[in-house]
Order: sequence, then structure tokens, then C-alpha cells
Amino acid sequence: MKVTRLTITVILSAALFAVLLYSGLKPSFGPRNTTPHIALVMKSLANEFFLTMEHEARAHQKSSATEYRLTANGIRNETDVSGQVRIIENMIAQDVDALIVAPADSRALIPVCAQAIQQGIVVINIDNRFNQQTLAAKSLQIPFVGPGNRKGAKMVGSYLADHLEAGDGVAVLEGIPTAHNSQERKAGFIEAFREKALDILTIRSAEWDMEKANIVVAALINEYPDVKGIACANDSMALGAVAALKAAGKLNSVYVVGFDNISAVQEMLKNGQILATADQFGGQIAVNGIEYALEILKTGTHKADQETPVELITKQSIENNNE
Amino acid sequence: MNKYPTRSYFNNFGSITILAALILVFSLLSRNFLSLKTFTAIANQIPGLTVMAIGMTFVIIIGGIDLSVGSVMAFSAVGFASALVEWQLPLALAVLLSFCLGIICGSLNGLIISHWKIPSFIVTLAMLEMARGATYLLAQSRTIYIGSEISWINEPVIGGISLAFVLALCLVFAAHLILTETVFGRYVVGIGTNETAMQLSGINSALVRVLVFTGAGGLASVAALLSSSRLEAADPNAGIGLELQVIASVVIGGTSLLGGRGSVIATFVGVLIISTLESGLSQIGTSEPFKRIITGLVIMVAVIMDIHRSHVQSKEVVSTDLKYS
Repeated sequence: MKVTRLTITVILSAALFAVLLYSGLKPSFGPRNTTPHIALVMKSLANEFFLTMEHEARAHQKSSATEYRLTANGIRNETDVSGQVRIIENMIAQDVDALIVAPADSRALIPVCAQAIQQGIVVINIDNRFNQQTLAAKSLQIPFVGPGNRKGAKMVGSYLADHLEAGDGVAVLEGIPTAHNSQERKAGFIEAFREKALDILTIRSAEWDMEKANIVVAALINEYPDVKGIACANDSMALGAVAALKAAGKLNSVYVVGFDNISAVQEMLKNGQILATADQFGGQIAVNGIEYALEILKTGTHKADQETPVELITKQSIENNNE
Repeated sequence: MNKYPTRSYFNNFGSITILAALILVFSLLSRNFLSLKTFTAIANQIPGLTVMAIGMTFVIIIGGIDLSVGSVMAFSAVGFASALVEWQLPLALAVLLSFCLGIICGSLNGLIISHWKIPSFIVTLAMLEMARGATYLLAQSRTIYIGSEISWINEPVIGGISLAFVLALCLVFAAHLILTETVFGRYVVGIGTNETAMQLSGINSALVRVLVFTGAGGLASVAALLSSSRLEAADPNAGIGLELQVIASVVIGGTSLLGGRGSVIATFVGVLIISTLESGLSQIGTSEPFKRIITGLVIMVAVIMDIHRSHVQSKEVVSTDLKYS
């Protein structure tokens, strides 16, 4: 019995070290590296949007390996705010030169970023914008590189509205209500719907999550059988909405739109199950942030905010691209 | 235990070895890991987890489990922030209110478990849901921004170490003394080992159980204050899944999930292992899937080493007992 336990311990420890090595780590021996060290801190890497962001950032680093080093980290789930704070603290301990942060919360990440700035680290805010009042209250200036979420949502919302008549009922599925990008997308949808005089039946949160969206939409179509369109603040929730409509046999009578243009929705866009989505080129956002940081590190000048492009994606635009 | 004073170090041998091994590995893999900055960063990250793990240690020793601590923490934090920001109450009152929320949740857990003799797993699972729902209701699903009013708790006092860490450390020692030196501590261990025997000797085990769960709730409130002072905000999504991290710390420290055996100091070592691992893995930029695989493996190794040790130990105790009889 004793021998078995000991053996298991040894095997597991060996497995642990093997995994550590396999996960792409290099020992820290050798001469000190003086190239700038940039840390990318994202939200959940279980979300394809951030996974793409990570991949493109790593590819960018490989193509300019002499210019900078990259450490990329993500959190467990979209709501793990204190996990993200801990990652930033660890990056400060790692003495990085610049931090590129996609904050999980627009306010709660500000104190730790202020701490980083105090230590002389360049901080760039990407994807989800920090709350401007809180930044002002702490007299901080953090440049933002990211998409016009509101503009993108308005494009998608208007496209949906074009397929409906004035007075038709629509529903909005928002992400985590505390996140700035969710608030912006919701505002964009609502603006588009108001312009076309659609009837906004309800606004619900499914916390960016496919399964939650499935449950919320299943209940929603029961409650509002006349709903003609569902606007989701991200594609994962749109997938959940489509599944719920399919189960209720209502796929042909309700339009669904999303946001992010993840690969899972490509087929659905082509066969019309999802009417439209918006691509904000997630990978490019991180790369832009990194280039911004490198420029600030080189020149030492402060940079203004930068809005990255957002594009409406529909069946038509995919077909045009393929031609 | 006191019969074998030299063994007290070896009691924690497994977990201390793992901690040392982790520090060694990360020091080799990352140039900046072995630095004062890293250790102060870790020290300032763990007060919340430490405080909650203290409560969980008592709960597990008594043979229970508390799944609601993460939700209760978020509930207390949001209660505190609402009191301070929305209702404009003075700081002391807001702190008191937040405590009351934790203590009410904890004592409800304890009372229901004791009165209807329902497994604590089920009761605290229900509390996990209710407290989270109440949190969203109170916060209207929004993060409540507090500002720097209580950020002094996390300001460094000595050598970069925050007041929060000093407080957590004091609580660890106080809880250790309560567990090892008081009658109450002995009741807790006794109930975890053999509740019927305790009841037969006239001890009110229901009361002890209620007190232990109330303590866990109260400590979750302390963690709530520490975490909101770090974020300068109360996040209604805070602490989702945190109960698992707390339980992992306690179990890695060697407290038996079967009850009757455990130590607060060992739990603290467990907290250090979990947080060193987290800090090290993010410093070397391990990808998220590997982070989780590695964390799981470390928990497994730690627990197996612990079982190995207790197996050897119980054999020794049996043989000495035979000698004395």
C-alpha cells in the first residue's frame, strides 16, 4: 500500500514537471535580456475572442522578437476581477515595462493600474474602456485602444431593424451589466431600434454566456411570443439564442444578431440562422496596443486614444469576401 | 499530539516540501520570481483567502463543508459598499452591517444543519445560491465603486507588507490557539472524530456546530472588507468559485475532509502553496489550460503525500499505544 502511494506521488510529480516544461517554458539562465518586456492581460481565454487576441499577439511578438518580450495571461472566467488584479500585481513584481490590459471591470481594475503607473510601468487600456470619471478622480490618464462598441452595435441593430417593420417587438441580451463594452453595445442596439420605432420588449442579461442565453431566451419567447428580433451583445449569447429558438421551432420567425464574429457563427451567418454580427478585429486590438506601448517606451510621449475599426458582417459580406 | 513534540514540524512536512519545491522551480524558470517584490505581492494578495480558509478549517475539522463562503463574501462586500456609498452611513456602521450579514448567513447555515440534521453540503449549496441572488439584488448587478476611503487597509506598513496581511496573520495565530489550547477547540476536534461520544458525555454539539458555521460566515465578511479595500469597489460577481480555492487550501494543508484532524497553521501553508503557484504560473506566462492542469496536479500530489504521512503516523500511534497498554 505504502509503495503504491509513493509511486503515485512520484509519477504525479514527474507529470507535473513534464507539463511545466512542455507548456513552453525556458529556464532563466543566461545573459539578462534588455529588450522591453510587455505583459498582455486579457479576460477569459475560454472566449474565442480573447484566444484570437492572444494568438495574434504571440504571432506579432515572434515576427519582431528582437524588439520586445511578451507575457500573456488571461483569467478563468469573465467575472474573475480579483484574479485579474492578482495577475497585474504579479506582472508588477515581474518588473515589466508595459502593461496592456483588457479590464474585466471598468472601475475595479483602476487602483492596481494606478499602482503600476506609480512604478513607472506604461499602461495601455484595450477592448473595454476604463470608467473615465474614476480615472479623472485619480488624475490618471490611460490611453485606450479599442473598437467603437456603440458604433458597431448600432450598425448591427440598424441592419436588423431594416428587416423589420415599425412597431415590431425586439429584445436585447446584454453581457455582464458592469462591463463598459456591454453597456455601450446595449446603448448602440437601443439607439438603432429607437430610430426605426421598434418596440423594445425587454432587456435581459445572459452574462456573455451561451448556456445562460439559452435559458434566458427560452423563457423570453414564452413570455413574448410576438418577439421578431433578438440582439445579443456577443456571439456566444447569439449561439445560445439560436439553440433556444430551434428547440421552440421559432427559428424562421425570429431574427438573431450578435457581435464579435467568432468562427462558430460563420456557418450560421451563411445559412441565415444569425442575421448579422460585427467584427472588431480582436487580434488587431492587442497588436495595436502593443505597438502603442512600444512607441511610448521609445519616445516617452503620451498618446491619445485610438479607435480601431468595426465592420458589419452579414451573409452578403461573407460571400463578397469569398469572391 | 504533545507526546511527540519533534514531530510537529514533520506534520507539515509534505506541504512545506511542496512549497519549497514550487519556489525553487519558479526561481529557475523566471528571473524576477525570487525577489522581495514577488513575496510582498503574494503577501498582499492572500489575506482574503487566508481569513476564509481559517473558517473553513474549523468547518472541515467538525466534519462539514461550507460552499457558501464565496457568495457570502460578495454579499457582505456589496452590503458594506451600499451602506457606505448609497445610504451614506459612517464607516463603522457600514463595517458592522457587513459583519452582521456574514454572521446571519453563517448562523443560518449552522442552525439549519443542526436542527434538521441535513448534510452541510446541501444547506450551504442552497446558501451559495441565495446569498448570490441577494447580492445581485442589493447591487442591482452593478459594481459599486467605494473609492479610496478604506484603501488604507491595503497600504504597506512594514517593508511593503500591508495591514491586511498583518491582520490575517494575527487571525491565523488566534485561531490556532483557539483550536489547540481551548476547550472549544477540543470539542470541535471531538465532534469531528466521534460526535456520538461527545453527545454522550453531555456536550452540546449542535451549539458548537452553529458557532463554527457562524465563525465561517463572519470571517467571510472580514475577507469581504479586505477584498473591497483592494479593489476600491464591491463587485457582485466577486468570489464565484472561490469556495473551491478555499477548500483546496485547507485540504492541501492536510486537514482531513473526513473531519477530526487539521491545523490552522497547516492551512496557512496550503494558502501559500495555492498563491505561490498562481503567482509563479502567471509570472512565467503559462497559458490558462496549463495553469489549471498544473494546479490540479499540485493539489493531487499534496493530498496523496498527506495521506501517505497520516497512514505512517496512525501506524506509529497504534504501536505506541500498544506499548503503553
